[in-house]
Amino acid sequence: MSVRKSATSSARRVATLAAATARPTTERDRERRRIAIMCLPFFALATVAGFVPLATLVRLSLAEDAVWIEGWSLEAWRTLATTAEYRWVAWNTLWFVGLATLVSVALGVAVSHVLEKYDLPLERAVVAAVSFPIALPGIIVAYLIIVLLGRQGLVTNAIAVATGQSALDLASATAITGLFLGYVYSLLPRATMVLRGTYAEVNVRAEEAARALGASRWETFYHVTLPEIRPGIVAAILTFRSGLAIFGTVLVLQSHRVITLQIHDETSVGSYDPDVAAAIGLVYVAFIVAFTFVGLRFVESDAVEI
Amino acid sequence: MTGHTDPTADASGDLHAEPAVDGEPNVSDESDSEPTADGELNSEPDAVAGSEHGEPRPDGGTSPAAATGEWSRSETALSTLVGRPIVVGVVSIVVAFLTLPVVVTFVSSFAQSATGVVPRGFVTLEHWRQVLGFGDYGVQTNAIPGLAFSLAIATGGMVLNVLIGVPVAYALTRYDFFARDWVNTFAILPLVPGLILGIAFVQTYPEHGRSAFGLIAGYCLLKSPYMVLTVQSSFQSMDLVRLEESARSLGASWPRTFLTIVVPHAKQGIVAGSIITWTLAAAEFNFTYMVASGSPDPFAIFLYRNISNATHLQSAAAVSVYFLIVVAAILVLQMIGNSGFTTVRQR
Repeated sequence: MSVRKSATSSARRVATLAAATARPTTERDRERRRIAIMCLPFFALATVAGFVPLATLVRLSLAEDAVWIEGWSLEAWRTLATTAEYRWVAWNTLWFVGLATLVSVALGVAVSHVLEKYDLPLERAVVAAVSFPIALPGIIVAYLIIVLLGRQGLVTNAIAVATGQSALDLASATAITGLFLGYVYSLLPRATMVLRGTYAEVNVRAEEAARALGASRWETFYHVTLPEIRPGIVAAILTFRSGLAIFGTVLVLQSHRVITLQIHDETSVGSYDPDVAAAIGLVYVAFIVAFTFVGLRFVESDAVEI
Repeated sequence: MTGHTDPTADASGDLHAEPAVDGEPNVSDESDSEPTADGELNSEPDAVAGSEHGEPRPDGGTSPAAATGEWSRSETALSTLVGRPIVVGVVSIVVAFLTLPVVVTFVSSFAQSATGVVPRGFVTLEHWRQVLGFGDYGVQTNAIPGLAFSLAIATGGMVLNVLIGVPVAYALTRYDFFARDWVNTFAILPLVPGLILGIAFVQTYPEHGRSAFGLIAGYCLLKSPYMVLTVQSSFQSMDLVRLEESARSLGASWPRTFLTIVVPHAKQGIVAGSIITWTLAAAEFNFTYMVASGSPDPFAIFLYRNISNATHLQSAAAVSVYFLIVVAAILVLQMIGNSGFTTVRQR
């Protein structure tokens, strides 16, 4: 009874609020209407292009007939839960992307440290060079790895000439190391970008004080700088999400089975299983959303750049 | 930094500077070397020199022993000796790793053969001609329509992004409202990867999803965070409340205030956001790969075809087409005051 009453009253409150927003009488109402109007286009697009398609994925994953999306069945989810291969793919993805993220963040700290603390020649050029790969899609990254490590690759041929081995044996672009470098190539500039923002706000006086009191460079970094850039490091670790989404690089290099490649395979002609693909995709999106929100708890959202 | 010499160097530097201001730069150094020059002035540097020698002693009476121990340890600290070279070395390798393949790709797209360590036989435009469809043979008969189509779609996505991104960025910066943090999270974080969105799109809109409209909507949603963040940082650097209130108090209506006062002030952010979203949308692969129907081929698919089944140098030329776009975008971005493809706020 009371539940119904409170439900009715809150429904009424929402209705009043909506009416006041639509036909404002006070300045506060007008402000609310402005906010609504300004957020509306974004939400219209997000609904049409984001929420509705995701809802379709939910429906598809529960459909008995996956082609016409009819009937109801839990088969896709059962397949996903019981097949060991999917757990293996998930584990593959997590450790691989996790490792690539950690390496990228560590290197990103070094790069932003040098950019911020040292006087470099051509600093603007270095900044441009480091941020350039952000604009490159995964397939181009894959190609660049081939340029370095492929059969005709620069590094491959240089080593081949130096050691006298065959370039064909040395080529590692389509080995797991090549793919790993591809991931680092994509994630490192993003991590660096986030960290540079944090480094710009580091309190230099504390570092100078530590140095003046006799701390060595490493001690200063470890005890003073590192705690100050910790939010940036956490934010940079959020680039893990970008790592999970990498697809083009894996599609071209194909040396490690990660989740995006698995989804691709489930939807391609040979093994067409759209309902299973939808279920994997939903788990994947749910994981990304959860990871993001958990990550955001440890960092002010201001520090999160893409 | 050599700690032991530093305090004295600093102190003497300061003290030298003082007499220099007095007018005689050389006097302070050796007070007894020029005793006859001017005795009157001499007394002053003497006093200063006296304090120079005396000063470390009073508070130094307790500190020198401890200080010398600390400082000398820092001098021999491993990180001081090898830290900087190692860090600089690592960063050089990283920069080389990021830059070298790009440069090599671009350069070798003009080469005739790519056997051996370095490409050879410069300069030929043959690969570019093939890639762009002007050669005798190639992956496509003519790539220009596909490129134009893709660039038009990217432009559509960009325009749509201005229309939806600027208002939402303004609302998020200017007002504090219920669920603001949630809206912010949705607006600035790409939560659904392009691949999944692509699959969902094709399933939801089997007929229109593959059309130009579908691609525009998808690009817009996927790249909107870049627009929102860039415009937001533009808004954050201005005093929105005062700007708005001045305009309102002078009689402007609210829509007029927004359109003629607020938006023009955020011009830099909007232009930067447009360039970034446009460039990224032009080469968005994951979504396009799942959605595009293939007539004409969007740019991302053109790149994919050239990378997966073309000769090495022809791929190089195809990829270089996009490099040129990105470099142009970065140059324009730097011209308007953004340091490239970052949404990090300017200092």
